[in-house]
Amino acid sequence: MNKIIQEAIQREAQLATRRHFLSSLGTGLGSLALGSFLTNCSSDTGASFASPLAAKSSPKLGKAKSVIFLHMAGAPSQLELFDYKPSLAKFDGKECPPELLAGKKFAFIRGIPNLLGPKAHFEQRGQAGHWISDYLPHLASQADRVSFLKGMHTDQFNHAPAQLLMHTGSARLGRPSMGSWVSYGLGTENQNLPGFVVLASGGKNPDAGKSAWGSGFLPSVYQGVQCRSEGEPILFIQNPAGVNSDIRKASIETINQINQETYQEFGDPETVARIAQYEMAYKMQSSVPEVMDINKEPAYIHEMYGTESGKESFANNCLLARKLVEQGVRFVQLFDWGWDTHGTGLDGSVDYGLHQKCRQVDKAATALLLDLEQRGLLDETLVVWGGEFGRTPMQENREGKKLAYFGRDHHTEAFTMWLAGGGIKPGISYGETDDLGYSTISGKTSVYDLQATILQCLGFNHEEFTYPFQGRNFRLTDVFGKVIDPILA
Amino acid sequence: MILLDVEGIPDWVLFFGHFHPMLVHLPIGMLLMGMILYGFSKKEEAQRQASIASILWSTGIAALISCAMGWCLSLTGEYDMDALFIHQWLGISLALSSLALAYMAQFWSQDSLMSRFFKPGLSLAFILVMWTGHVGGNLTHGSDYLSTYLPQPWRNWLGIAPREQESDGKSVSRITIKNLQEALIYQDLIQPTLKQKCWSCHNAEKQKGKLRMDSPEYFLKGGANGVILLAGKPEESDLIKRILLDPSHEDHMPPKGKVNLTEDEIILLQWWVKEGAHFNKKISEIPYNARIKTVLTKYTQGGNQQEAHVSPILKENIPPASDADIDKVRRHQVLVIALSKEKSFLEVNAINAKQVGDKELQDLDDIKDQLVSLKLGGTNISDALLQQISAYPRLIHLQLDHTKISHRGLSYISSLKHLETLNLVGTSIGDEGVLAIAQMPALRKIYLWQSKVSEQGIKLLQKKMPKLVIDQGWKGKWPLDTLNIPIKKPE
Repeated sequence: MNKIIQEAIQREAQLATRRHFLSSLGTGLGSLALGSFLTNCSSDTGASFASPLAAKSSPKLGKAKSVIFLHMAGAPSQLELFDYKPSLAKFDGKECPPELLAGKKFAFIRGIPNLLGPKAHFEQRGQAGHWISDYLPHLASQADRVSFLKGMHTDQFNHAPAQLLMHTGSARLGRPSMGSWVSYGLGTENQNLPGFVVLASGGKNPDAGKSAWGSGFLPSVYQGVQCRSEGEPILFIQNPAGVNSDIRKASIETINQINQETYQEFGDPETVARIAQYEMAYKMQSSVPEVMDINKEPAYIHEMYGTESGKESFANNCLLARKLVEQGVRFVQLFDWGWDTHGTGLDGSVDYGLHQKCRQVDKAATALLLDLEQRGLLDETLVVWGGEFGRTPMQENREGKKLAYFGRDHHTEAFTMWLAGGGIKPGISYGETDDLGYSTISGKTSVYDLQATILQCLGFNHEEFTYPFQGRNFRLTDVFGKVIDPILA
Repeated sequence: MILLDVEGIPDWVLFFGHFHPMLVHLPIGMLLMGMILYGFSKKEEAQRQASIASILWSTGIAALISCAMGWCLSLTGEYDMDALFIHQWLGISLALSSLALAYMAQFWSQDSLMSRFFKPGLSLAFILVMWTGHVGGNLTHGSDYLSTYLPQPWRNWLGIAPREQESDGKSVSRITIKNLQEALIYQDLIQPTLKQKCWSCHNAEKQKGKLRMDSPEYFLKGGANGVILLAGKPEESDLIKRILLDPSHEDHMPPKGKVNLTEDEIILLQWWVKEGAHFNKKISEIPYNARIKTVLTKYTQGGNQQEAHVSPILKENIPPASDADIDKVRRHQVLVIALSKEKSFLEVNAINAKQVGDKELQDLDDIKDQLVSLKLGGTNISDALLQQISAYPRLIHLQLDHTKISHRGLSYISSLKHLETLNLVGTSIGDEGVLAIAQMPALRKIYLWQSKVSEQGIKLLQKKMPKLVIDQGWKGKWPLDTLNIPIKKPE
């Protein structure tokens, strides 16, 4: 308890330092300056007093400058896509050996399930010889660009906690997400756009909810801004009827003035964040509709991604992700929905529904790689693809009964993710699972290891990238994580 | 009770044995102390010898104890027998001569013989202590320990071979196979791996666990725990078993602090043992599956093991640009940012300042020494700017897409010695520009789509610069249209 009080006292002292005093004085005088950049709102370089989103340099030379995280929420089956297990096909329909089940817990499997052989056709692709199934033919054509982590494992077998763990480093609420850490560390290159943008394919938001892109204990200016590819990109971004931009400007100026007075009185950094957010919101009124508008893209780009403007889709979001990164956004998190193939229905079957699902993302994700590449952006953008956990080599037997369709339960012990672009050595396959694809036998990679590796690509040492909160330094990887060197360029 | 270990040596013997390398420093220090005292005392001093007698007695006794402990340590059999023999007898002679000197110092001090024998005796003991110590050091650290980091000119005088180029810590020099069909599995693949990862402790000079791996005969003979290699049975071979143990396990090989085998190396060793641990067969004579093939291709040249390229510029240490100069550029709404906090290399990005042109960017001159990356896509620049930057010493990345530059401008920047990537997408650069591009010595990648360069121009450029990666953009068509192929519905 003492430590926390001490921190509070320290903070207060920190906030009242000469620099803070002077800088807040500067803005007190300088609402003139603020006014001036509100009038030509596109041209501020972030030299305003606190500018929590000003572009910052990484501690070390990083290969990547931004990240696009393609999250297949629900968890795709590695056994139908990348982790080829001929032995599992041999034992298809046989009972799962009890020693694999002893002491294990599953979300839905009860009793002794049967093994389920891979339902897709696998081939080795490219020079690298990656096994990629025919569910992902376009990605297969780019096999040499990507590297696989086949020994991923997690400790959460339910969607929401597993997604939280993947994005915030904790299965419980309250930690900042990876994108928040990154925009806290690197700011944004484009002062008219947030550093961290979230795009969901529509249908359903991820189970973990907005906490998957929350800023936790970091100042809230670093939280992910969710944009929509259908309708207004951000709700209420247009001025309401009867309010023109002059009135808007005047009201924001007034609000910020009040906020500045509040800041001078109490010195809470959250007030600075709020001022920055108002400024950002005003600038975004013109910049976001522009960057989120894919109508101006040439026809061949639409052909490439398979986009249809005005729709909420993964393809549209991939194109937007490229546009955002091109405009200097640091972290773009895409959520796609519908990968939870339990086999309870046709759409959730691994032989049909999963194949359908793959068709919705295969072309767009591959196009994203190619488009980044041709713009010279792939060298400095890290692309990550994967779910929150894997799927069992056993067929799901919900309530101990045989299901109508082939499906697999949630599985924590082995799953596959791929990475490509900035900082990643292409064509590597790291980690291996046993003959049934049940557990990882070499190259075990925890979620923390993945996070450490992503930060490493951006030029951060995950152990040194910390934020003091409640008496101790916190980091994204908590006390875990080691960088997966073999996949780094 | 005495606990016996596998090799039949009682634990307490090894326990004391391990104190030998520590304790030997006592007699060394004592003898030197005695000599210093003797050397600094006056010749006329009557008690000159007697005064160091107690030191010499202690030296002798400490040396005897060290010998006993050294003998305990030698029982492990981990050392080169010849060198051990020399070290052992030198040590014993040193102990005895120290005792003899002590006796002389205490009882012969009045004797006339004293002056004749004591000084030479002391010198002899000094030589002994140096020699014993040196041989002992060689036994522990290897005979090349002292000379490993000897600077080059002295190596030549002493006739020591030049040091092998040191790899930067984590990567040991890479094993490559030139011809996969003709390569021998043991000589070209297994032995080089063992040499890198195992030989430092299992060789002619040092045999940890009484194991030598530096030739097939010794390798097959095994060590203190018996045979380590069972052809065809990797899961029963100690060699494989120990490699596969958890790195924190006591029996894991290589032990803590040594470089571990990579996953690929482990896969190859397992495969080699499983297929019969042949010493004379070619790789092509041994059956291998797709997985082994993938690993093997990494060993052939041109595999995907190439180290990522980093511009030599980024390894330099340069003084930072002044804040005033940086602010001057920033005034034009251009983003100026250091690539990292540890070095002063700068990137300039006109991401939010498409309106800038040649005039504003004249201020770049003040930060030209730090500027490595210049992104001016879509801005109002012209050839004049290219002339301005043609003498920038550290420019590595240059993005000029969608600008009004022409081939004349390109000819200015062909003098950029370190330029590696150049983006000319959407410019009016045509085939005339190809010649200028071909003169850029360090160029690795160029983006040329939507420019006016023709197919022939591309071909010519590729011919002139075979290693250059030319990005011509997306071909405009997917090779297959999957969406039209129906997916079979399950019953």
